[in-house]
Amino acid sequence: MKEEPEAGFAELVAATNYSFLRGASHAIDMVAEAIRLGMPGIGIADRNSVAGVVRALTGLRKLGEKAAEKGIELPPLKIVVGARLVFDDGTPDIIAYPTTRHGWGRLTRMLTIGNRRTEKGDCVMKFKNLLIHCEDMLLIAMATEKDEFLLRRLARRAPGGLWLGATMPHGGADRRRLSRLQTLADRIGIPLLATNDALYATREQRPLHDVVTCIREGTNLNDAGGLLRANGERHLKSPQEMHRLFRSCPEAVDESIRILDRIAFSLRDLVYEYPHEPVPEGWEPQSWLEHMVRDAANKLHPNEIPQRWQEVLDEELTLIRKCNFACYFLTVHDIVKFARTQDPPILCQGRGSAANSLVCYLLEITSIDPIANNLLFTRFLSEERREPPDIDVDFEHERREEVMQYIYRRYTRRRAGIAATVIHYRPRSAVREVGKALGLSEDVTQRLADTTWGSWGSEMPIERFIEAGLDPELDDIARLQWIVAQLLTFPRHLSQHVGGYVLTEDRLDETVPIHNAAMEDRTFIEWDKDDIDELKLMKVDVLALGMLTCIRKCFDLMRVHDLGDHDLKSVPPEDPVVYDMLCTGDSIGVFQVESRAQINMLPRLRPREFYDLVIQVAIVRPGPIEGDMVHPYLKRRNGEEAVDYPSPSSPHDPQELYNLLHRTFGVPLFQEQAMKLAIVAAEFTADEANGLRRAMATFRNVGTIDQYEEKMIGGMTRRGYERSFAERCYNQIKGFGSYGFPESHAQSFAKLVYVSSWLKCHHPAVFACGILNSQPMGFYAPAQLVRDARDHGVEVREVDVNASHWDNSLEPRDDGSLALRLGFRQVDGFREEWANEIVKARSTPFASVEELARRANLPSRALRLLAEADACRSMGLERRPALWDARRVRQGVLPLFGAAETDELGAEEDAQLPPTPMVEHVLTDYQTTRLSLKGHPMAFLRRDFEREGVLSAAGVAAAKNGAIVRTAGVVLIRQRPGKGNAIFVTLEDEGGVVNILLWARHFERYRRAVMASRLMLAEGEVQRSKEGVIHLMATRIVDRTAMLDTLGSDRRFEPDVCRADEVKYPQLPRGYAAKHGHPRDVRILPKSRDFH
Amino acid sequence: MRIASIDTAALAVGLRVGMPLADARAQVGELAVVPHDPVLDQDWLDRLAQGCARYSPLVALDAPDGLILDIAGAEHLYGGEADLVADVERRLARLGLNLRHALGPTADAARALARYQTRPAPDEGQAIRRLPVAALELEAEATTALVRAGLKTIGDLASRPMANIAARFGADAAMALRRLLGDAPSPLDPRIALPPVVAERRFAEPLGSTAHATKVLAELVGEAIGDLAERGKGGRHFRATFFRSDGLARSIAIETGHPTRDTGLVMRLFAERMDSLADPLDPGFGFDMIRLAVPRLEALGATQLKLEGGAVRAANEGAAMDELADRLATRLGRGRVRRLRPADTHIPEQAQLELPAADAPLPLAWPAPEEGEPPTRPFHLFDPPQPIEVIAEVPDGPPHQFRWRRQAHAVRRYEGPERIAAEWWRRRDNGGLTRDYYRVEDAQGRRFWLFRHGLYDEKPNPRWYIHGVFA
Repeated sequence: MKEEPEAGFAELVAATNYSFLRGASHAIDMVAEAIRLGMPGIGIADRNSVAGVVRALTGLRKLGEKAAEKGIELPPLKIVVGARLVFDDGTPDIIAYPTTRHGWGRLTRMLTIGNRRTEKGDCVMKFKNLLIHCEDMLLIAMATEKDEFLLRRLARRAPGGLWLGATMPHGGADRRRLSRLQTLADRIGIPLLATNDALYATREQRPLHDVVTCIREGTNLNDAGGLLRANGERHLKSPQEMHRLFRSCPEAVDESIRILDRIAFSLRDLVYEYPHEPVPEGWEPQSWLEHMVRDAANKLHPNEIPQRWQEVLDEELTLIRKCNFACYFLTVHDIVKFARTQDPPILCQGRGSAANSLVCYLLEITSIDPIANNLLFTRFLSEERREPPDIDVDFEHERREEVMQYIYRRYTRRRAGIAATVIHYRPRSAVREVGKALGLSEDVTQRLADTTWGSWGSEMPIERFIEAGLDPELDDIARLQWIVAQLLTFPRHLSQHVGGYVLTEDRLDETVPIHNAAMEDRTFIEWDKDDIDELKLMKVDVLALGMLTCIRKCFDLMRVHDLGDHDLKSVPPEDPVVYDMLCTGDSIGVFQVESRAQINMLPRLRPREFYDLVIQVAIVRPGPIEGDMVHPYLKRRNGEEAVDYPSPSSPHDPQELYNLLHRTFGVPLFQEQAMKLAIVAAEFTADEANGLRRAMATFRNVGTIDQYEEKMIGGMTRRGYERSFAERCYNQIKGFGSYGFPESHAQSFAKLVYVSSWLKCHHPAVFACGILNSQPMGFYAPAQLVRDARDHGVEVREVDVNASHWDNSLEPRDDGSLALRLGFRQVDGFREEWANEIVKARSTPFASVEELARRANLPSRALRLLAEADACRSMGLERRPALWDARRVRQGVLPLFGAAETDELGAEEDAQLPPTPMVEHVLTDYQTTRLSLKGHPMAFLRRDFEREGVLSAAGVAAAKNGAIVRTAGVVLIRQRPGKGNAIFVTLEDEGGVVNILLWARHFERYRRAVMASRLMLAEGEVQRSKEGVIHLMATRIVDRTAMLDTLGSDRRFEPDVCRADEVKYPQLPRGYAAKHGHPRDVRILPKSRDFH
Repeated sequence: MRIASIDTAALAVGLRVGMPLADARAQVGELAVVPHDPVLDQDWLDRLAQGCARYSPLVALDAPDGLILDIAGAEHLYGGEADLVADVERRLARLGLNLRHALGPTADAARALARYQTRPAPDEGQAIRRLPVAALELEAEATTALVRAGLKTIGDLASRPMANIAARFGADAAMALRRLLGDAPSPLDPRIALPPVVAERRFAEPLGSTAHATKVLAELVGEAIGDLAERGKGGRHFRATFFRSDGLARSIAIETGHPTRDTGLVMRLFAERMDSLADPLDPGFGFDMIRLAVPRLEALGATQLKLEGGAVRAANEGAAMDELADRLATRLGRGRVRRLRPADTHIPEQAQLELPAADAPLPLAWPAPEEGEPPTRPFHLFDPPQPIEVIAEVPDGPPHQFRWRRQAHAVRRYEGPERIAAEWWRRRDNGGLTRDYYRVEDAQGRRFWLFRHGLYDEKPNPRWYIHGVFA
């Protein structure tokens, strides 16, 4: 047969790395390779999943944008999407491509059935499901002769829509196999389709594919044998190569083009309808929304709605009507209303850009008045973008689940699903798994994992290997690094997003497959936030915020102890005493401004009013820092630098910049200001300005920002600004990246900063109790929070069986103030039900361990924990005798004498145990409750350190500026913020804390000591700023952990490092949270923290 | 792999028992490593115990690395305790051993002192009271609890009411304490039989003939096998020790490829072994004791016995072969009798391994050829493959003709290529050449297995080889 040189070929059986541990290439790489090879199209089909297909579309778009920047036009590539159906009933793999929207719905429903049938992460497909759902689909069966019966059934069910897939795997008998398949296909009357069943883009990915195969099979390369492919042929092949391979059957290659032509469906066609909220009879959603909003406005302004309000409301409502978003607002309003009407109400507050909207404010979704604060609505919503709005609402973290279950109840699982989060490989897990696949011992990889700073980075530099004592020249180690580097970018599995819901009017499972989540009563969809954005679906973010829980608990405590009845709105505003406290940097536990960097900033910024807090929240961020806005702002604020506002030439308003920037002394600090600057000074349209904002967020990857540069600078100079000024503005905006805050968001957060500061300032005992009962949250461990409370004069009482409850509680003191009684929840391993039993049985005080055990019916483990925690003192038993007695109580003895209230065990001779040395008390306190009210371990080492000339924290604080000193302490926090030039370490001793700053060049030398020390000695120069902030600029770090073992106790001292410690609690690197955040950590940590 | 034991030099550079070998190698470049062999260790300890019989007839093994000697009434032969200890130290030093020793009033006390004493004491009683509570060798949790209660030494414990301790830590703890303090007897079990199954017989009158001894051995094997059957185990390793009345002893050991409870088989193997001894078993003045130990057991299910006695032959054909392999290995040496096993790899020449027949078979079957498919691998492989000259189509066409051993072959039929890529992970550059195999038939109907070493994009002029012949 004559070969047609022009004949095309499109690979239709291509998997991406969303076929977890099977595919070995990113979707974008598959797409790029298909373009390179000159294919007219490519079919992406992952294993029982459509999770990766949106990435292919995104990839194609990005490749197009990149090429366009270079002035190249990419040849068109048609991406068809489907799924590779893998059955568990012996049916061969079948690749399904929907040809219409209806077919897509059938496919996603079929996958949903398979997903819901099983545990998380699995999909069980049955042939009969396919028979039921295969309308509007083209099917490619990767079958052999033994499947003939099944193929015939399928061919009858899907006439003209079934192909038999044929590959050339280079297995020796390819030609014979092909001719048999040809015979089979002819016999059934279906066409043969040539494919390469591609698992990766190019042959270079074979090693990676072999490794992921080993990870999947739980084996290593040496033992895997036949589990690995004999060769690396399953990459994309050019049309010419496919024609050559299939020269005996060229029509099979041509079929690929026929299939491609028959598929009319594209994911971009997904029509999506938002749920119709029930509105009262006779109302349309839009008119109902307008009615509610105007109603609320009238309540706020009973006489007359101000002009400005009227204008903004009209603008917003018109836009909402135009874009048909009314239902969306009603949905969010409904969720917030649900939370507020619970008994007790669940605290909630909108965050992010939604606070720019007056409608959101009037619906009480957000708590910031956008008019008073002159916020920018287009930052939230704009017409040209045609993007769904994004309203994020924070709820109390302990009660968010109630809200989530409400959403499921309200919309049912058919219509509501949580978005997915793609969990990527992290250096630690990648090293461990690849190491195992390469046959390295777990200990080697463990050691490597231990020196990794954070586990969120996306690289594993060679230094880490040297650090771990591994020779990177060794083949195994070099190989490990090579593979890990590739695998680090891979998705590992899907998990549920923290709280992003996708809601639909129709069946959600006809838009996207739904999975069971690992958590009970949860289901999530296969697409993540980026995918949803790409396809322009709408989602509602139901987020959790620990501080809201803490504040609610504080309000509850105040009510119980007659300190007033408050909610978020009723806290007295602008209290100077609160600002006085913040000005001294006294903010441990306070929302957002409690981090090291924030505490340093407070005395420099000296907040005196609410708007200062807004700035405080926003300024300690990588955007303003890298944009070099912090120092100009501080200087102007303190009057050390003149504030000037360049004016444009007439006829433009000479005051335009003053109006825009006067609140921040001429320095743009917020995203809105950057956008407004572009709008006002460079005449951008609102949507161009928003485009600029998005470009700022992504300019590292895509160079689209350059097109705005000319527009901005050109626009400003045209209007009469000096070019140098325009350039400076532009560079500042560029520095923002995505790491600046929108002002609306900063406003929302500042509100919580104020409320928590007010609580801490006026009710320190209440605040400490509330925050301890809301753990885990915030930056600090209980030990620091308790220490801070005591520093503020709060009496803290120990856990005691005759006084404590599960939660920490407040006890009145003789002088009328409140003391904090630690609760059983502080005792590691203690259970809430035991605590409840104790409280229930505590009608009269317990007199002995034995009586406690009997009356509260406690198991011996509970008794031992209580004794170990030294919680028996009110019975006259200190730790050792209590333990001695707890050990004696036998379990499972029939309460034969119990009724008689007699002592079952009988009297016993006193064991006369030796008294407990104080050091053992302190160490055991730390071991059982993670804090000690009796002392600090450093106190016991003080004499040794003094002999060495090592200063205490107090000593450092008293040292002269510039003095070279040494100090030592227990490591509290290690952070490597921003660009990573400096490492912050906080050390604690019996008297206070010392803040160490270590430059990166020193860090590399002392990495092990910094990473591994529990007790650290630092040497360096004392630096004292004019605001009185003291740092030790360290030049030498020594690991003195061994000292802890000389304390003369077998107790190991492992103090809690703070949750802000990036070694123990790896943080999300910037921009990471959005894409890769692990739900568990995101839930615990406040989402926006300094530097990230 | 972990470190089981180290010497002082290794200790000095920071290696520790239990450390992974990989870590140790990473720390110390030049590391002499010997595989740990507990059986050998035990033999060695046993031999030491035999040697120590010179000090006392009562020698107990305290595995894995201790011996307890009851020297009461024997020390005067050496001029007192101190001289006896000096003698022991001198002799063991000659063997290159480090010795840690202690004398105590009871076996348990001596043992605890030797293993746990850290502080000097004026007398034995004090020394025992100063021992840490760990010397009781209670469960780790109980030991910790004692320390936490402030009771850190045996003395702390001894001064408390015994009932208090028993109530909290169990009667065993109290008993251990009393034994250590000498309040309860701590019997010495001479040469504690460590192997899980042991049968032995002592004779009032030494046996003078080897034949007689063999008969006794057969009885002992029968006893031991009865014991094994009760436990649902079979023996893999049997050791007979013949104690001569003059104090010397001789051990003979056999191993089987599978766990066994077949008396006949074990005795046949012993017979083979004894026949092949370079210096035969010499009763000298007669054997006064024969002991059979089974140090290595493996699970072996119960088997049906024939009515007339004896086990039913296992249904699988391999049994006779296994037995033959055992006998040959016993006679010729373990490493000399080998068997081919399949290996799971794509590389043809590595697809079979030659392993000692006595080792347990790998849990792998030979790959079964697909039904109706011709064999894909030849019967004979050349090692190494032989270079040939070939005229072939580029890039992956079959050879049209090839020249091998100066003879030209025209290819009539072919199949292929079967593409086998290199095992990249074994190569420095993570690459390696891919092989394209072809099964070809020449004009005379002879079939060959040829391959091209390297794809054209891997190597400019890849070479061709013949790797095997089918027929």
